[in-house]
Amino acid sequence: MQLAVNIIVLAAIYALLACGYVLIYRVSRVMNMAHGELSMLGAYLLFAAATVFAHHPIPALIIAILMSISTGVTVYVVLMRRMTGEMVLAAILTTIALGILLRGLVVLVWSASEQHPLQSLGFTNPSLAVFGGARISTCAALIVLMAALVYGSLFGFLRFGRWGVRMRAAGQNPLLAAQRGINLHAIYALAWSLSTLTGSIAGMLIALDSGLDQSMVVIGLKAFAPALVGGLDSLLGALFGALIVASSEVLAIHYVDPLLSDVVPFLVLIAMLIVRPWGLFGTREELDRV
Amino acid sequence: MMGRILLGAGAAALAITAQIAAVHAQDAYVIGVTGALTGPSSGTNGPPIEGLRLYVDRLNAAGGINGKKIQLNILDDQAEPSKAAANAKRLLSQDNVSLLILSSLSSTYAPVVAESKRANVPLMFMGAVCPKEVYPPAEALQFCTTAYAGGYDSRATLDFIKTAAAGPVKLGLVAMAIPLSRGEIDYAEERAKTMAMTTVDKEVIPPPTADYTPFATKLKDANANWVFSWAPWVTEVKTFEALRRLDWQDNYIAWSHIEAEGELARLKDGKLYVIGANSFFQDRLPVHMEIADAVKKASIRYPAEQMTEGWIGGLVLESALKKAGWPADAGKVRAALESVSVDTKGLRGGPLEWSKDNHFRARQYYRVYRWDEAKSAIVQAKDWTAYEVQ
Repeated sequence: MQLAVNIIVLAAIYALLACGYVLIYRVSRVMNMAHGELSMLGAYLLFAAATVFAHHPIPALIIAILMSISTGVTVYVVLMRRMTGEMVLAAILTTIALGILLRGLVVLVWSASEQHPLQSLGFTNPSLAVFGGARISTCAALIVLMAALVYGSLFGFLRFGRWGVRMRAAGQNPLLAAQRGINLHAIYALAWSLSTLTGSIAGMLIALDSGLDQSMVVIGLKAFAPALVGGLDSLLGALFGALIVASSEVLAIHYVDPLLSDVVPFLVLIAMLIVRPWGLFGTREELDRV
Repeated sequence: MMGRILLGAGAAALAITAQIAAVHAQDAYVIGVTGALTGPSSGTNGPPIEGLRLYVDRLNAAGGINGKKIQLNILDDQAEPSKAAANAKRLLSQDNVSLLILSSLSSTYAPVVAESKRANVPLMFMGAVCPKEVYPPAEALQFCTTAYAGGYDSRATLDFIKTAAAGPVKLGLVAMAIPLSRGEIDYAEERAKTMAMTTVDKEVIPPPTADYTPFATKLKDANANWVFSWAPWVTEVKTFEALRRLDWQDNYIAWSHIEAEGELARLKDGKLYVIGANSFFQDRLPVHMEIADAVKKASIRYPAEQMTEGWIGGLVLESALKKAGWPADAGKVRAALESVSVDTKGLRGGPLEWSKDNHFRARQYYRVYRWDEAKSAIVQAKDWTAYEVQ
């Protein structure tokens, strides 16, 4: 039973991180290679807020979330907006440069030492007994709940929200959407802010559960595999991709060799690219644009 | 026209700056450092470089060595072998350093060692695990000041487990998927067999891992009553915490990296032991006070206890450069390193002495610390134990 819990937790981590890749790609066709760094930055922003508002978790969390949203908007306005109309490759290279910059910045500001925002907030992370003798930490349970909440909200927003429908329209046909009066820059900025927010939430919860250091960047990069497996333009695909990759990873650790955990996400990805290059729920048309 | 003038002026300024820098470098000992200042292992490998810089800044402020300043050229390799190789090449061929210092993951060793051999410049491991090549008979160009070292660490740890264990030992082993960590844990597994311990599980964990629980689940399911981890701190502590989250209540012993003192105080777990070769700042030796004071004055962002490795590196560098005299090329520095004898002032259990054959130390001393719940403080679980290096 513990295996099932482990799979669910890892899938929730990947799902939270993967939806950020999907949101930006779906709307602007840009693969954000700085998503891991932005998630890490979100977690460091929580750490900074927790240091200022020590033992006052609510204001610290609110400030961290607001700063994460602002970061997403700022990245778009200052950097990615200038990439509009340029080659997709140029935009991707820009995100790679942004990632390098953020990694250096984080070390300069917070040092490379491992940080523990949970302590600063005055929280503890007790282990909870769940079904069948399995256990889960409180923060890991929160990750699962938050993944469900984020995906539920995003599905609702994209299907029924006015701005959500606009986002879908801008993603499907930006020219037509612009001709219908949709402000594309506002839509792209919204996509970047939502992507950074979901990535930051993942980063914050991982940091609360197991500490915060630079390895989060690589975790963010690993979540790229579930996004591709599910189909880069499908939120539902990201969810299923996360579940598939997490299951393969945890089962490989348990039954084959722990060393495979690093390789398995990419083996699954390669298998998917061979069988169905546009991913489980992606659309074939999108592949041509890539 | 104006643009061209400005461009010309800029180029001239750059050329003059480069010349000044070159003159400056010729008038100083130039030491190259490549290390993981960023990246997954930067928490362990970054602070030693900061400690070295702190020590060198103090030396320079006091007039340098033999009347000459020390210039540290520090480059970040992010613990990536390709970047470490490029750094080493640049430091050796462009900056003409007389000594190369490495503080990074063991996966970076091979390319840096190759570059050091090609240029015939000594390489000093500092804050990065000592490779076996520094043990007798040592490779001519490789030296190591770092506390941790393959083989001896496992021997000392298993000896401690043997004396501390109440009954039969069912051993779980944890490594990071990097060459030296894996090699050491394989060695521990073999050695445990000769000490009547049963190895029930061995986990080799990749460096970037989102959740350590799947690995901890296997250790718990294997019913390990002692777990020994010899890996970068991030792997050691996250596996431990994952085990506790699974309600595993047995004993865990990890290598005492620079983060260990702060982490023991954070975790407050009586069954978490750390074994290491550096003393803790809670011992309040004069040298600890000196480092803490220097950290405070220099506004370093790392805690003082994380400066130990860099400080010892600085002590060795000072001693070697004094002996090498001025001007000192790579050959003179290497010759000086071969007869280094440094009083670690209590930072280690004994002095750090090198000879032509031994670039590690004559004796390796180990001490074990743990958290005492009754005293609500870190206590020594076992005082210095010496192991002859052969």
